[in-house]
Amino acid sequence: MTGGDDAGSTARYRAEPGSRATAAERSADREGVADDDATGAAGSTDTVVAVEGLSKRFGSGPEATTAVDDVSLSVERGAIVGLLGPNGAGKTTLVKSILGMVLPDEGSVHIDGIDARERPRAAYSRVDALLEGARNDYWRLTVRENLRYFATISGVDPDSVQARHDRLLERLDLADHADVAVRELSRGMKQKVSLASVLAGGADVVFLDEPTLGLDVESARTLQTELRRLAADEGLTVVLSSHNMDVVETVCDRVVIMSEGRIIADDTVEALLGGSDTHEIHITSADFDDDLLASLREQFALAAVERRDPGARIEATVDSDGLYALMATLHANDVTLDRVRTVEPDLEDVFVDITNGGQRR
Amino acid sequence: MSDASLDGGDTSLDAGVTPRPATYADLAKQVLYREYLIFVRYPANAVGGIVISLFFFGLLFYGGEMVAGRALTDSLEGIIVGYFLWTLSVGAYSSISNDIGSEVQWGTLERHVMTPFGFAPVALLKGVAKLVRTFLTSAVILAVMLALTDTALQVPVLTVVVVAGLSIVSVLGLGFAAGGITVLYKQIGNWLNLLQFGFIVLISAPAFDLGWTRLLPLAHGSALLQRAMIDGTRLWEFGLLDLGLLVGVAAVYLGLGYVVFELATRRARRLGVLGDY
Repeated sequence: MTGGDDAGSTARYRAEPGSRATAAERSADREGVADDDATGAAGSTDTVVAVEGLSKRFGSGPEATTAVDDVSLSVERGAIVGLLGPNGAGKTTLVKSILGMVLPDEGSVHIDGIDARERPRAAYSRVDALLEGARNDYWRLTVRENLRYFATISGVDPDSVQARHDRLLERLDLADHADVAVRELSRGMKQKVSLASVLAGGADVVFLDEPTLGLDVESARTLQTELRRLAADEGLTVVLSSHNMDVVETVCDRVVIMSEGRIIADDTVEALLGGSDTHEIHITSADFDDDLLASLREQFALAAVERRDPGARIEATVDSDGLYALMATLHANDVTLDRVRTVEPDLEDVFVDITNGGQRR
Repeated sequence: MSDASLDGGDTSLDAGVTPRPATYADLAKQVLYREYLIFVRYPANAVGGIVISLFFFGLLFYGGEMVAGRALTDSLEGIIVGYFLWTLSVGAYSSISNDIGSEVQWGTLERHVMTPFGFAPVALLKGVAKLVRTFLTSAVILAVMLALTDTALQVPVLTVVVVAGLSIVSVLGLGFAAGGITVLYKQIGNWLNLLQFGFIVLISAPAFDLGWTRLLPLAHGSALLQRAMIDGTRLWEFGLLDLGLLVGVAAVYLGLGYVVFELATRRARRLGVLGDY
């Protein structure tokens, strides 16, 4: 059977005492394997996912599309990394290429130091994924049956992780529905079952595509708390792809932004927020007259002009140079500033700024 | 979610947990148990299959009796055995090929691909479960057919199970291949279901007159099953060559089906359409 050797070696590895006890122990366990398999890119003991020069094209000839273009990326153990990008940016292809669901044309992927191309079954033995737009589990089975099934196929005897399943069900508010067929649950509950089944086997690395889709506000918020807790306490590494900027901003340590198959920004959330050179400023003054407002409209990108009596209130989105120029213009026209308010950019602003041309990497 | 998750309760998910590695036996247990649960929880599918099969047999029997009269009743035993094998074949083929299509649609096939076991052993075990399930439903169909037509056949259980089982293993291989092709070309799945009507030709192939037809799926097994159920030939009374050929054909078609499935899923991964339904 294909992969039989790999499955066997995985089983032997998994049999090592305490191999799942703590993140530190897991890390120590892997060092021996990493010595054999790691390349320079994956050599760091803290790097759990290492991607080097990954490219994937679909089609051939002039109509070929480059979905992922020479992407290199590393994810540290216990980190929560957000993957953002507009539709068609290559996020899903990148994630599926890392997971082996799509075979890349070029590049390498190492999981915990193991080359995913050479030893896929061993490399992915500690990885699971929740993919958007898919059921991900079996709706005709109960919640608990799903957990047991997916623990087994991920290489773990389900009886031995029964306590883990009980705690997962408790934490995700699924305990009361443990013996209910998934098809009978609401959409949000189904999403939580998918997440629970991903965590059922004790994966070290999980890829979550739109994990909060269908969840109500409270469930989404507490899911974020749970993810942070799993990363901090259990050493779980999460790569999270979402269009929900609030989730990414709240949960992720680091954000990778993709556009047209390339990574165009890769930094901590704080650095991205602090590094934005876009300033939204609201200025109210009684000295704004028609001529000055017309002049300002010509020179600056005014998002809004609200007439007041006397004067007006303007909203401008400018970079640093633009801000200096705006202030100089107002100063030159003897404008007294009645009220000035700056609006702090959030991740969505940064995302729009970067994907519209700014580059941070 | 529970308060424990919010107040930072001190219970780690894995506190006191010592995971043991799952073996292929554990995998088999889970896959077979899952198939069993679905079978007993949702009996409508099985009952529906039985009713439809009996409906068509009723049409064949009563319609044929009106048209052909005694000519039909003279060959009734052969028709019943052939129909029994056909229901077995269709059950095994469609359940495995449709099942693979469903796994693609649900996104669960993708999850299997990156597990230590992969999808192939899961699919093989599902195939075993489908065989058992199909045997149960086809046994009901056989019993009703015999009662309806007031016909007596010999049913040496061991011989019938082994011969019919090995016969439909080759069909299972075809189901694997069809499932693999469905993974690659999603729209083709329904058309491949038409292949099950080709099984009628294979089952009625004159296996002992044209030697090469023995190499086709079902044909040789169908001939042996006729001998077992009509003439009363027992398993150990068949020649070694006959039994060897039965096993060989089953193994070759199952192997070919498995290879086609593997190649198709690999190509689907290269094209990025593994889970793209």
